[in-house]
Amino acid sequence: MSVLAVNKLCKNYPSFRLDDVSFCLEEGKITGFIGRNGAGKSTTLKSILGLVHPDAGQISFFGMPFNENELEIKSRIAFAAGETDYFPHKKMRTLTEVTKRFYPLWDEETYARYMKSFGLDENKTPSELSSGMRVKYSLALALSHNAELIILDEPTSGLDPVSRDELLDILMDLSERGTTIFFSTHITSDLDKCADDIVFIRSGKIAAFGSLDEFLSRYRVARFGEEGIPQRLREKAQGIKRMRDGTQALFLASDAQGLTVRTAGLDDIMTMARDAQSEN
Amino acid sequence: MTFKAAAGGARPAKNGAGAMRALLIKEIKLSLHPTIPIFLLLSAMLIIPNYPYYVVFFYTGLAIFFTCLSGRENNDVFYTAMLPVRKIEVVRARIMFAVLAEAAQLLCAVPFAVLRARLPLPQNSVGMDANAAFFGLSLVMLGIFNFVFFTRYYKNILKVGYAFVWASTAMAVYIAAAETCDHVVPFMRDRLDTPDPAYLSEKLAVLAAGAAIFALLTLAAAAESERSFERLDL
Repeated sequence: MSVLAVNKLCKNYPSFRLDDVSFCLEEGKITGFIGRNGAGKSTTLKSILGLVHPDAGQISFFGMPFNENELEIKSRIAFAAGETDYFPHKKMRTLTEVTKRFYPLWDEETYARYMKSFGLDENKTPSELSSGMRVKYSLALALSHNAELIILDEPTSGLDPVSRDELLDILMDLSERGTTIFFSTHITSDLDKCADDIVFIRSGKIAAFGSLDEFLSRYRVARFGEEGIPQRLREKAQGIKRMRDGTQALFLASDAQGLTVRTAGLDDIMTMARDAQSEN
Repeated sequence: MTFKAAAGGARPAKNGAGAMRALLIKEIKLSLHPTIPIFLLLSAMLIIPNYPYYVVFFYTGLAIFFTCLSGRENNDVFYTAMLPVRKIEVVRARIMFAVLAEAAQLLCAVPFAVLRARLPLPQNSVGMDANAAFFGLSLVMLGIFNFVFFTRYYKNILKVGYAFVWASTAMAVYIAAAETCDHVVPFMRDRLDTPDPAYLSEKLAVLAAGAAIFALLTLAAAAESERSFERLDL
C-alpha cells in the first residue's frame, strides 16, 4: 500500500495545466519533488492537500481516498510550507498552544527538544526571526505530532549550510523510523544527500519518477571543447549547456558509447534535459 | 542528532465537538482583532441622549470585518485549512465567533440601555429608544449583516472589502428604514418606541421575533458560506 498515490491528476488554469500527474510514495522512503519554477510543484502539492480542487484524478493516502477521509488523513500527515508565514506577530508559544490542540498525538517532549536544538525562543514572534529560523519553527511544529507522512515545500531554502545539513539528518532519522518524507526543492544537492526516490515534474507533466540512483544511471554528461558538439551527436543529445570553455551535453547512457563521459547529477538533468523520458 | 518519536499507532477519533472547540480557541487566541473587545466600549453610546442607537451594532460588524481583513494579511485561512479540520468547520467556527462577538456587544449594551432610561432626559428624538424592542430590531440587523457579509466573503476570501461594502450598505439601509419607520409607523412610534415596561408584551414579542430572524439568517449564512468555501480553490 502506498503512503500516497496520485493517479492522473489534472488541473487547468488559464495559462497552465497539470496533465495526468501520477506517482506514488513508498513507506519509509524520502522522495524528492523536483522541478523548475512554474513546473507545477506547488499546484500539485495544493491539489494533494485539498487546497485546490483537481479537475480530474484520484488522490489517496494510506490506501484511503482523500475526499472521504480528509480528517483522518490530515491528522496523520504534516505539512510545512517553507517559512512560517501566518500570524507573524503572535508569539510562537501562542501559535504552538493553538496548533497542538488539533493533534491528539502531539508530543510535547519532542517539540521541546526540537525548539531547543533549533535555538528557538517561544517568547518571540515569527516576525522577529530570520527566514531560516521561521523555516525551523514551521518544521518543529510539523515534526512534533507523530505524522506518518511529512510533506515539505522547499524546507531548506533560507537555511545556512549547517542548519540545512542538520535538517537533512533529521529527515533521514525519521525515515529510518518508518516516517515517509516528501519534499519539494530546487536544491538538488539536498536530494543527492538523502533522497531515495524522486518525482521530476516539468511543464505540468511528470517527466520521471522512481529511484534516484536508477534515474541518474540513465544519463551521462559529455564535455566538448570550443569546437562544440559534432553534428552526428547533436541529434542524440538530450540537452546542451554552454560553458565558459566549451559545451556540455546530456545523453542517455545507451547513446553515450565511445564518448568520454561522467555520471549525470540531478542538476545536470534538470538544467539540460528537454525530453527526459516518462517512466514508472 | 536523533530524536525518539513517542509511540504512535492509535488512530484517534477526533470528534466534531473537539475540533470546533479547538477552532474557537484558535479564533479567540489568533484571529480576533483588537477592535472586537475595544468596540464593546462603544455600547456606552446608548447613553448619548439623541442618537441612532443601531450604530453601536454597526461597529460590531466593522470589528468582524477587521478580523477577516487581518486574517487575510496573516494567512489565517491557509493556516486553518491545513489543520485536521473539515472546511465546513472552518466556516462554522468563524461564524460562531462572530455570533459570540455580537452577543457580547448586546450584553454590554444592556446596562447602558438601563442607565439611559434612568437618566432625567427626554426620550431619544433621533429614533428608537434603547429598549427591549430595540434589541430585537438590532438582532435583525445583525442577522442581515451575517448573511450579506459571510455569503460574499466565502465566495472569495481575498475580497474582504467587497463583502463589507455590501454588508455595511445593507446595515445603513436598515438603520435608515428602521429609524424612519420609528417616526411614521404608528405601532412603532406609539407602542414600541416607549420606555420599558410600557407595552412590554409587544416589545418582548418583537425581541423574540428578532432573535428568531437572527438565528434563521445566521444559519442560512452558515449553510451558504459552507457550500461556497467547500468549492473554493485556496
